[in-house]
Amino acid sequence: MASKTFDKETILDLTVNMVPLVIILFFVVGFAVFNPFGVDTLTSGLQFSIMVAAFVLLAALTYLSGKAIAGSEKTDVVYPPGQATVPGVKPLHEEHAEAEAELDESGDGDAVEAAEGTA
Amino acid sequence: MEVNGQLALTVLMGIFLIAVAAWLARVEDWRSYTPLAGGGAVGSTEQYVSEEKPSGVIRWLTTVDHKDIGILYGAYGLIAFAVGGLMVVVMRLELADPASTLISNTFYNSLLTSHGITMLFLFGTPIIAAFSNYFIPLLIGADDMAFPRINAIAFWLLPPAALLIWAGFFPIPDVIPAQTAWTMYTPLSAGAGSGNQMNAGVDLMLLGLHLSGVSATMGAINFIATIFTERNEKVTWANLDIFSWTILTQSGLILFAFPLLGSAILMLLLDRNFGTMFFAVDGGAILWQHLFWFFGHPEVYILVLPPMGIVSLVLPRFAGRRLFGFKFVVYSTLAIGVLSFGVWAHHMFATGIDPRLRASFMAVSLAIAIPSAVKTFNWITTMWNGKIRLTTPMLFCIGFVSNFIIGGVTGVFLASIPVDLVLHDTYYVVGHFHYIVMGAIAFAGFAGIYYWFPLYTGRMYQVTLGKWHFWLSMVGTNLTFFVMVLLGYGGMPRRYATYLPQFATLHQIATVGALILLAGQIIFVWNFVQSWLEGPKVEDGDPWDLADDDLLTSEWHWFDRKLQTAVADGGEEEAELATDGGERIDDSQSSSDVSSDGGEPVDETDVASDE
Ligand code: HEM
Ligand SMILES: [Cu+2]
Repeated sequence: MASKTFDKETILDLTVNMVPLVIILFFVVGFAVFNPFGVDTLTSGLQFSIMVAAFVLLAALTYLSGKAIAGSEKTDVVYPPGQATVPGVKPLHEEHAEAEAELDESGDGDAVEAAEGTA
Repeated sequence: MEVNGQLALTVLMGIFLIAVAAWLARVEDWRSYTPLAGGGAVGSTEQYVSEEKPSGVIRWLTTVDHKDIGILYGAYGLIAFAVGGLMVVVMRLELADPASTLISNTFYNSLLTSHGITMLFLFGTPIIAAFSNYFIPLLIGADDMAFPRINAIAFWLLPPAALLIWAGFFPIPDVIPAQTAWTMYTPLSAGAGSGNQMNAGVDLMLLGLHLSGVSATMGAINFIATIFTERNEKVTWANLDIFSWTILTQSGLILFAFPLLGSAILMLLLDRNFGTMFFAVDGGAILWQHLFWFFGHPEVYILVLPPMGIVSLVLPRFAGRRLFGFKFVVYSTLAIGVLSFGVWAHHMFATGIDPRLRASFMAVSLAIAIPSAVKTFNWITTMWNGKIRLTTPMLFCIGFVSNFIIGGVTGVFLASIPVDLVLHDTYYVVGHFHYIVMGAIAFAGFAGIYYWFPLYTGRMYQVTLGKWHFWLSMVGTNLTFFVMVLLGYGGMPRRYATYLPQFATLHQIATVGALILLAGQIIFVWNFVQSWLEGPKVEDGDPWDLADDDLLTSEWHWFDRKLQTAVADGGEEEAELATDGGERIDDSQSSSDVSSDGGEPVDETDVASDE
């Protein structure tokens, strides 16, 4: 079940939260290996529990929200965010190809101009 | 005798009731031909109003409609913004010269304290609640909030909170304003020392703060319940709009942070009035800081997340495409929510807490910068090569992004312990957080106010004045607060009414910037009030032409339905009238010009270089 919910796309979306997780992990390992202030049961314990707590809670919330979002993507029609109740708005997968074609069409001129402007 | 007395009473009561009925009828009548400013907000739902709501003042006092409560929050927030803003204008004028000339040092301290608390608790939180109350139910397709009455109670706790917080400024004998700064550090705030902090003014302020916290918590519970349970069946977690996501996260933060502030305040009140020693014993001062910042840091994200949501919602509408990396923004919002509880001691790096502890707070503080940066990149990418329309709300969104970058980057530097030890308690910190609270949060608030102005007033604001407001705010903000960053580098400590002459030039520039800001806000107030009363009526349910790009969101659809069901009433004539007070005649020449602020696509190149 879980592997079905967490397909490649979802994992990709979740990478955004992997980065802070990795940063925290980096410091956890770093402070464990190299701790210039020495070790003291209470304060070192607090030191690591702050980082570990942040890590665990962030991982848990990322997992839960990923599951909720990817889950309802599987079970329900997905409209563009905030537009579900607007009549005539097409679900995302239906309009995907269409929108892409449109973007190519209308984006061309602008793209050139902007590229010139920012170059 | 007995009977006569009763009779007289009955007659009196009867007369009274008839008088009330007559008065109500009169108010009703009067409303039906001149919709009042506030009533105008829902001008075209008038049929609905007379069916279900009383009219006039009574309606505003008894309303449980989320839209009305949103308007009330908005009015409250803007009034508080004016009060807090005028306070700081006086402070900036005092700081135009190194000595203490205009006001006394103690009065400066009072203003400083009240400015901070007013802006954070009486402007920031309520102005966000204005948007969330009005728009969350519309965005998620709910009939109203989950608990409409709790919603009303939460709002009505706020006016007494403001009166308590400002009590010291009122001419009440023996009550003077608090001078504790918004952080209320003990032992000063516990009444120790030779100052006058034992005064009842401080107690009243603490009680007011507590009340505002109760209000925020009630609101948060309501939003969580609403977003979880009241969504239209088509609105799933996969297509919930970004503003609702940020409000949901914000409500979670409020739920965990505000009760803690409440407890800490109660402990402080006990220390002050009932002889307890929570903050008087060894380590008490640091205990206060831990308790306060465990609330205080999440509070800054409570204030910034929903504005980020507004920008994430509004900015793509004027870039002609959907938000780039929508889910990145959602997940990073949640990440900020969690991590904001693990960074509080970065406000305490200079207190001498254990270096090991300090290091771990630095780690988490650096980690939290990532989700904020991710959002920034998403906004920029959304605009990149987009079909940018530089309307007033869009300008404020772009200003938000620009200011947030400076505020965020200065924050990341502060998160590094060695840098912080140099810059702590200098103007650099003041510059940092004002880039965010003024440059970003207030800007997003203005973006929302302009973007939805046609929706909640049924009228259009004056475009030129909107642009003046933006540019004066942008220039004023950057002048004032960039100079503060420089002052901080120079070692100017914060929270002083006087300073060494070497800082005079920079302080004077900051004062000029503040006056530019003031000018911009006066224009805003004029534009806001005048356009609400007399602006050209909006006849199009999609004034920003969002449907052209398939970007029309639910709240505009709701507005469109409302306009269609309303009785047509000489809108053209209204548009004519508006030119009298309006700035430019051509603004209201045709009804399509009404929305001219959304009209013409602007060269993207301008925007790209803006960034
Ligand atoms: C990008 C992430 C951020 C980081 C890493 C960061 C870091 C910091 C640090 C380390 C301080 C303490 C400076 C000192 O007193 O020595 C500070 C102060 C402050 N920050 Fe930020 N900040 C960030 C974002 C924000 C945001 C989004 C807000 C507002 C919504 C904010 C508002 C404040 C405030 C109000 C203070 C001053 C508190 C006081 O002492 O009165 N910061 N920030
Ligand atoms: Cu902080």
